[in-house]
Amino acid sequence: MSTFGQQLKPRFGALGLIVLLVLGTLAIRLWSMQVLSGDEYAALAENNRIREYTLDAQRGRILDRNGIPLVTNRPSMAVAVSPSAKDDSELLLALSTLLDMPAQEIQDRVGSVREEALKPRVVAIDVPMDVISFLAENEARFPGVAVQTIAVREYPQGVLGAHLLGYTGEISEEQLQDAELEGYLLGDIVGKTGAEHEFETVLQGDRGYQRLEVDATGSPRRIIEQVDPIPGRDIILTIDAEVQAVTENALRAALEEAHADDFDAAKAGAAVAIDIQTGEILAMASLPGYDPELFLGGISQTEWAKLTDKDSEYPLTNRAISAQYPPASTFKVVTGLAGLQYGVTSEWATYYCPGKWTEMGEQWPKWCWKHAGHRNISFHSGVEESCDTVFYEIGYEFYKQGDEKLQGFARQFGLGEPLGIDLPGEVGGRVPDAAWKADYNENYPEYIKWLPGDTVNIAIGQGDLLVTPLQVASVYAGIANGGNVMQPHILSAVLGSDGEAVLTAESKVVHDVEVSDENLSVMRRALVAVTDTGTGSGAFRGFDVAVAGKTGTAEVSGKDDYAWFAAYAPANAPRYAVSVVIEQGGHGGSVAGPAAREILAALLGLPVEHVQATDISR
Amino acid sequence: MIRSAQERLTSRVSVPLLVFLVLLLVYGAVLVQSATSGFTAGSAMFRRQLLGMGIGLIPLAVAWGMDYTKLKGWLGPLVLLDALLIISPRIPGLGYSAGGATSWLAFGGIRLFQPSEPAKLVTIVVMAAVISQYKGRLQKPADVFRVAAYLMLPVGLILLQPDLGTGLVFIAIALGMLLVGGLQARWFALFGVVMILAGILVFALPSEYGGLKEYQRNRLLVFIDNEVDPRGAGYNLAQSKIAIGSGGLTGKGLGSGTQSNLNFLPERHTDFIFAVLGEETGFAGTMLLLALYLGLLVTALEIATSSRDLFGSLIAAGVISMWTFQVMINAGMNLGIMPITGIPLPFMSFGSSFMVTNLGATGMLLSVWARRYGAR
Repeated sequence: MSTFGQQLKPRFGALGLIVLLVLGTLAIRLWSMQVLSGDEYAALAENNRIREYTLDAQRGRILDRNGIPLVTNRPSMAVAVSPSAKDDSELLLALSTLLDMPAQEIQDRVGSVREEALKPRVVAIDVPMDVISFLAENEARFPGVAVQTIAVREYPQGVLGAHLLGYTGEISEEQLQDAELEGYLLGDIVGKTGAEHEFETVLQGDRGYQRLEVDATGSPRRIIEQVDPIPGRDIILTIDAEVQAVTENALRAALEEAHADDFDAAKAGAAVAIDIQTGEILAMASLPGYDPELFLGGISQTEWAKLTDKDSEYPLTNRAISAQYPPASTFKVVTGLAGLQYGVTSEWATYYCPGKWTEMGEQWPKWCWKHAGHRNISFHSGVEESCDTVFYEIGYEFYKQGDEKLQGFARQFGLGEPLGIDLPGEVGGRVPDAAWKADYNENYPEYIKWLPGDTVNIAIGQGDLLVTPLQVASVYAGIANGGNVMQPHILSAVLGSDGEAVLTAESKVVHDVEVSDENLSVMRRALVAVTDTGTGSGAFRGFDVAVAGKTGTAEVSGKDDYAWFAAYAPANAPRYAVSVVIEQGGHGGSVAGPAAREILAALLGLPVEHVQATDISR
Repeated sequence: MIRSAQERLTSRVSVPLLVFLVLLLVYGAVLVQSATSGFTAGSAMFRRQLLGMGIGLIPLAVAWGMDYTKLKGWLGPLVLLDALLIISPRIPGLGYSAGGATSWLAFGGIRLFQPSEPAKLVTIVVMAAVISQYKGRLQKPADVFRVAAYLMLPVGLILLQPDLGTGLVFIAIALGMLLVGGLQARWFALFGVVMILAGILVFALPSEYGGLKEYQRNRLLVFIDNEVDPRGAGYNLAQSKIAIGSGGLTGKGLGSGTQSNLNFLPERHTDFIFAVLGEETGFAGTMLLLALYLGLLVTALEIATSSRDLFGSLIAAGVISMWTFQVMINAGMNLGIMPITGIPLPFMSFGSSFMVTNLGATGMLLSVWARRYGAR
């Protein structure tokens, strides 16, 4: 080293120190970023390059018992809007014009969920091709708007069976919390009612996903991983589409019939057809109906208002299981069988019907529907003619004997509680007793006491007694099936991907009524007489198969009478039970009976014809 | 004194400097190859980089072979050459604009080189010639102002381009040389105050009055707060940090960096090549590079201390300052601890003018080393 260098040594030292300082700082920073925080940065880098997309699974189809498709899927061109675009009023306005829907509604649909759902929300389906092309060509003018092909539900049979099939819609906040629907995401389409809801987890399938490597512009470079979606399973219902169609038509015809009889308020009704040995539901109808198509891609608020308005007769309600009515005279089979079983009456026990029945005292008169009175009448004829007096007597006797035996017997048929059908929304009806009355009228001390009239009213299917049409059909099925009420169900089988059944519904007895075969025979003979020579004879005139049935005409306070008919057939070798109720339809024999006839004809393979009948009984 | 041929050779040749140079060139070539492999013109760019290395051997050999001490007498022409180089792109028909600055020399529309790059070396020689006149004691204001004037000529011209980054390199070079050249501490303090005031002024003034342009201001703001604008100015920085951090201990492998190959990392072959290195070779790779730089700079320091005259020491100090500053700014900005400026990484970043200049600088060091015992 030169002497000159020695002299400048401290300065070179300073320069060297700067060099060390610079390199040392960089090294420390690199240690911190690459060694200490390497994993965090690695995660960020992965997050940069990997995009995960869900692949929606096709929803399972719903078929009738013969394989006729009731609900399938079809592709639809949909317009989806990103949540980021929902406050762009100019964009919303332009879309509003294009899609012919209010801007507010578009905004509601996009903003109907929380921020976490960043994926575009479908705001319109079945968008016309010209609008789709316009959007595609003017992509830049519609930021955050995407055109997608999505699968939507298709209803090849139209509105047929709308109530039991149910409709679909976007998963709700509550459903997202549901443990059974674990793994569902916002925006998923789920069954909201009916079979769609009941068998949701079977129909839904498992979504797949695709992990893509993307570059900085978001363009995919390659597929890292792909898990194909597993389509939902097809299900076979116990429903027979043809019988269902006849049933719905029969209900419509019954409403027209009621109108012809000047029962203009008749707007609603329900009918159920059951296989008595298996509990399979072959048809289940409710009027008024609705079009499940309206719910595809989200129902508009106007349509929703129409369907739920208090003047709408609530078309979304499945009256067959969710509405409760007084069973009226259709209940006389229960009272009658209870009377026979407890020795209160017998087939040929005679009664005297004066028209005005005053056994409970002059101040508590009850009238038979036939004010002139049936005079001397047997129990058998009492069922045939639906004589109220006979059943007042039986009911009064049950009151006097105490222990609420009539109610207990009714409960043996499953009345007062849901039967447990595999459909959502089933209600249980009501079998009133002293305890219920005391509880119900808690705040009205004068009404707390159970009175003889309460039991007498139950005996003819009135008072506080309430049943569903499904329960009535099940009672008649139970009578036809030796006292065994089968669990009603609509699921027949779940199909695997090969089309073979992977799960088949099993029949089981849900209620076993303690009633002797002898007593059942007494009742069966009387029920056959009803359609042969009694109150139901008009409706079943000329019917090729013997039918055991019963009319009913329910009194509902402030409303016109509700028409009932319940039956099973063939009477000698029973297979099917049906019940029909027409709200404010008038008399059972003239309005509900003909409908039941048509349904039974369809079930038994007989020609379906509408008959005119006159019945003035209750 | 009898010396063996080998001893004679080592006395003329700094073997460590050449070893570190070769290692850095190889490392840089591998890195540029990896960084450009995803580009459509990738292989052409790689060949161009190798060509730059080849061309760079000419100034290296020329500087090495030339007696640097003779340059002292050429102060006037060198100052003129310096100014000419810097303003040459402004001469109609010669210039070529890219990225908002006119910093290229072109012939017939084909970009040749950036004259501001060799101007760095000329400036080193000019400053060394001026500062060495004061024999290691620089304290009189008149002397300091004279030195400052020689510096401000190229710096002023380069700021007119405008090229703030290169201007800062010139200043950094001069500071290192002034340290060795004996500038008193109080002058450094004064310089610090002036720089801070100038910094505030350019940051506050609108760009039409000589202040920073919007993008430059954003770069500074992003440097102060990394999260300021993750989609805009902060994007480059964020992606660079992710690239380096995600490299971890051993990296993702050469050519396998996802941040670089999927284009998340911008300017990956030039300004952000350090991030590619960090991502693909990890901590091991970045430490190796820092070790090579350390070796190069320590060897250069030894050359500076071994010089037979102050002039040679100052030239070496200028080269050391230039490299140190460029490494600090470039790697620092990749790591998010320095503001983003377009300063490349010596021997690593793609760019032939830059490569040729750095090889020329190496030649100057070799020349100082070779003549440490006096002219023969």
